[in-house]
Amino acid sequence: MAEQSIFDFLKERAPELFQRLTEHMMLTGVSTGTAIVLGLVIAIFVFHYRSFREPIMAIVGILQTIPSLALLVFLMTLVGKIGMTPALIALTLYALLPIVRNTLIGLESTPPSILEAAAGLGMTPLQQISLVRLPIAVPSIVAGIRTATVVAVGIATLSAFIGAGGLGEFINRGLALSSTRLILLGAVPSGILAIIYDLSLAAAEWGIRPVRKIDSPLSLKQQRFRRRAAASLPVTLFVTGLILYVVEHPGAQGRPHVAIGSKHFTEQIILAELMAQTIEKGAHIDVERRFDLGGTLVCHGALLRGEIDFYPEYTGTSLATVLKVKPIIDPKVAFVTINKEYNRLYGATWLSPFGFNNSWAIITAGGASRKNSWNNISDLQPQANHLSIGLPAEFAEREDGFPGLEKVYKLKFEKVEDIDTNIAYKALAENQLDVAAGNSTDGRIDAYKLKILSDDKKYFPAYQSAPVARVDTLRKYPQVERCLNKLGGQIDDAAMRALNYEVDGNHKSPAIVVATFLKLHPEITKVD
Amino acid sequence: MIEFRNVAKTYDGGKTYSVKDLNLTIEDDEFLVLLGSSGSGKSTTLKMINRLIEPSEGSLLLDGKSITDLDLVQLRRSIGYVFQGIGLFPHMTIAENVAMVPRLLGWPLKKRVDRAKELLELIGLPYEKFGERLPEQLSGGQQQRVGVARALAADAKYLLMDEPFGALDAVTRDRLQQELLSIRRKVGKTFVFVTHDLFEALTLGDRIAIFHEGVMAQVGTGKEVMANPASDFVRELFARPAQQLKDFRGML
Repeated sequence: MAEQSIFDFLKERAPELFQRLTEHMMLTGVSTGTAIVLGLVIAIFVFHYRSFREPIMAIVGILQTIPSLALLVFLMTLVGKIGMTPALIALTLYALLPIVRNTLIGLESTPPSILEAAAGLGMTPLQQISLVRLPIAVPSIVAGIRTATVVAVGIATLSAFIGAGGLGEFINRGLALSSTRLILLGAVPSGILAIIYDLSLAAAEWGIRPVRKIDSPLSLKQQRFRRRAAASLPVTLFVTGLILYVVEHPGAQGRPHVAIGSKHFTEQIILAELMAQTIEKGAHIDVERRFDLGGTLVCHGALLRGEIDFYPEYTGTSLATVLKVKPIIDPKVAFVTINKEYNRLYGATWLSPFGFNNSWAIITAGGASRKNSWNNISDLQPQANHLSIGLPAEFAEREDGFPGLEKVYKLKFEKVEDIDTNIAYKALAENQLDVAAGNSTDGRIDAYKLKILSDDKKYFPAYQSAPVARVDTLRKYPQVERCLNKLGGQIDDAAMRALNYEVDGNHKSPAIVVATFLKLHPEITKVD
Repeated sequence: MIEFRNVAKTYDGGKTYSVKDLNLTIEDDEFLVLLGSSGSGKSTTLKMINRLIEPSEGSLLLDGKSITDLDLVQLRRSIGYVFQGIGLFPHMTIAENVAMVPRLLGWPLKKRVDRAKELLELIGLPYEKFGERLPEQLSGGQQQRVGVARALAADAKYLLMDEPFGALDAVTRDRLQQELLSIRRKVGKTFVFVTHDLFEALTLGDRIAIFHEGVMAQVGTGKEVMANPASDFVRELFARPAQQLKDFRGML
């Protein structure tokens, strides 16, 4: 299927683009604004009290070196919330260093003759700072603010990972769905925003420079007016951003609604969207979509804190990452065990599994499997020492990954290569690789006509997928539970692969893919 | 009246003297010039008066009170200070520069503006033309006049000048010297003026204090010093310019 035309694409995304833009302006405006005030205070403080200088500058410097994603996730845990608050704190901390450092440099750059005059005329040390050093430092300070702002616009795109919204939403989604258009829809406006901020700050710096009396067609009064207008540009932008944000995000409505989260890869987004549309159509309750959250622990934390009510999870992941226990091979036992623990520990419960199992899979090219009559993984054993296998890095390392597989099936491959799954599938299809490890529901398996070998020795634990839900939300909206349980058993491995391929391979939007799916299965959303 | 009593300034924990055992009284309304080459201690002597440099030994009295007992900021606001670096504030207009000390003293705006106008008139840079300009738009000589006006603004009783005309060309320097003398006639003040230029010292000073290697070699009117040099150094100091003057006359 051909992609939408650019025009239709933009038209369809325009309302969300506007919403994300206002979020982005709010994030960057508030964080940089706070950093300016805080940064000036810190800089003046350490300039005046020299002994604090080294330790405080060291702290501010170290903050800057923490990878931004790590800082965001750390603050999210510390604040105990996803969304705006941790993002604003992280962005403010990042903006501090250039502002503090440039302010300090500016304060120190006052020529000695001017300092001698200031002291000689009888200025107190604080007057020397406020009347002389600070005004002379303005160009340096503004340069610092400009750096901080541009950096903030960039880093703000990362805060989508912790559910703070902003233009990063498009970038995240684009990365998850491998859609260049979506990435650009986030990246280009944030680039433009950075340039606009930067220019407005440059104009403001010109605006607060003292007016020289020169032979100009404009009177001194007119010149001063123009300067003032320029000086107020950044503030105008900031206030505009805030107003638009407030208009675009009226406080939580009184109408009943639930929030659904997802991790940031295609299958998760499709499942979350499926849950959302099922609830909207079957239970007539509004759904807030907080997709593309930065991983299992982010989703789990958000669920515990009630920031989301549902998200799709996998039994295997839950055992390994959330409950941190050994894998349980029997899928039924695994499900029951997990559900019991979730009820006991988290006030959460697992609803009916969708039906598919997204576990590790050993994959070969369809032609090769027919020729050698490979159906089970065991069938590889006699020839393994002439075969090459490609592994994603994660699978190669984990004890429950490749090393265990080699032992259980007594396999010794001729060649073992670390290779990204994107490349591995293509290599299989082109016979450059004999075997590869991947995910059993990957849409590209069918697209490349590959074959999954059966795990006849039951080595891989099950990764059954099901909606995880907050118990109190289900109590409040029992119709939602009935609704989501109708999804139970509706999607087998092949169906999930097909849905994934519609998005990854055919570049359709998850919302459209899900709507089509629900149209083909009217019984799911039929109101009882 | 400013009195130095056994004043010294030492560095390196007392090992090096930049000014040694100075006894000097500067009378009210007097124009005293501190003359010497660089490193002679003349500037240090001047800067001890407004405590830009703190004396290490002895006592320094201003109108009978030890300067160390006076509040530092108040002391400096009550003493005008002009120096070679000028140090006009680049982000303020000429008028704002001149009215700086009155602003620090909390004068109302109207009074400050009137004072700035009056002083700019006095130094020949009328407010209407120059008041709203920035320092960078003025020549070096004009800037130094503004520096003088700024030092006069709060009507301080004492005016300290540290080689104020040292960086200016000879013609400008000569004109500013004349203007300074005319200002002196209009405002009754005590001037302490540092220079390394003998002719400048003779032109401006009522008395000249000659400094050599941290020690005040002699103090007196120009005539007295020339007639009775107290040491070989002082004699040498006058001999060389006198010879130059003679040579120059011979050429005419």
